[in-house]
Amino acid sequence: MNEIPQVILRLGQAYVPFQVYVNRWEPMKALMMGTIFPELYRPYYSEEHRRG
Amino acid sequence: MWIYEKKLQYPAKVGRANLKMAKYLITQYGGPDGELSAALRYLNQRYSMPTNVTKGILTDIGTEELAHLEIIATLVYKLVKDASVAELKAAGLGSHYADHDRALFYVDAEGNPWTAAYIQAKGDPVADLIEDLAAEKKAEATYQWLIDLTDDPDLKDTLNYLRVREIVHFQRFGEALDLVQEHQAAKKIF
Amino acid sequence: MLREQLELLNNIKAVEFTALELNLYLDTHPTDQRAIMDYNASVQEWERLRAIYVEKYGPLLPTDIVEGSSWRWIEGPWPWEIDY
Repeated sequence: MNEIPQVILRLGQAYVPFQVYVNRWEPMKALMMGTIFPELYRPYYSEEHRRG
Repeated sequence: MWIYEKKLQYPAKVGRANLKMAKYLITQYGGPDGELSAALRYLNQRYSMPTNVTKGILTDIGTEELAHLEIIATLVYKLVKDASVAELKAAGLGSHYADHDRALFYVDAEGNPWTAAYIQAKGDPVADLIEDLAAEKKAEATYQWLIDLTDDPDLKDTLNYLRVREIVHFQRFGEALDLVQEHQAAKKIF
Repeated sequence: MLREQLELLNNIKAVEFTALELNLYLDTHPTDQRAIMDYNASVQEWERLRAIYVEKYGPLLPTDIVEGSSWRWIEGPWPWEIDY
């Protein structure tokens, strides 16, 4: 679980939270998924699923 | 400098995908949100970056984008290599054939040539990194639309791999942005 | 390409990919000791697999020195020609 650190967020700036390395997939699974980090993976549901 | 490793980063397959896909895929080769734009943008921006983190991440992601360029080239190459001229015409690739035969070229899906107008280097690290975040999101979206355009599971698989890479790159550029903003804030403390 | 060769090549891709992902992570987290250790282990595994591949099937990098009377670097198949 990535925690959002207690920092001062300034106005007029963009922020992306820092990733904290916890687990990684084993190499072949990672290659097939496109990343070694499960927390960065996001599936894509194609057009047909998205509509309505 | 660059060294070339004689293998693809990912085992790219086209399965039984329609030849028409070649016309769409080419936008990730020479189009505005494609891998050539990404590679050249990042590799160029790195020269004016203030910190080692940003020089490092732009170099490494820029280099990875060249590997992705090669994957797109491979997909198009496999789709067109055995196609007849009649098949190419029917798939909307007649104009491309007239100019290039089955050679690849840096164009978008309509045949417009790649241009440096697709990229920028403002010299301001925050502006440049935010452009990079946008570029990664646009590339991710383009891969989504390409996945929608094909029924072939093998092609969808390779496109999905490239899509997920963009999400990871976005995360890294986001972290680099945070570090640069901290660096700039620290410099202001006298 | 032989199935055995393709399998070994895919394993190299997988291990190299892990190394690359840790490389990118370390670029923005340069003090993460655990990531550095995992990176080093991945690179060692990559070098081990590569040595086997190169010895059997030829160079992957122009600096891979292999047996043979001719310049094997330019031999096919090239990456875009392989049926994965």
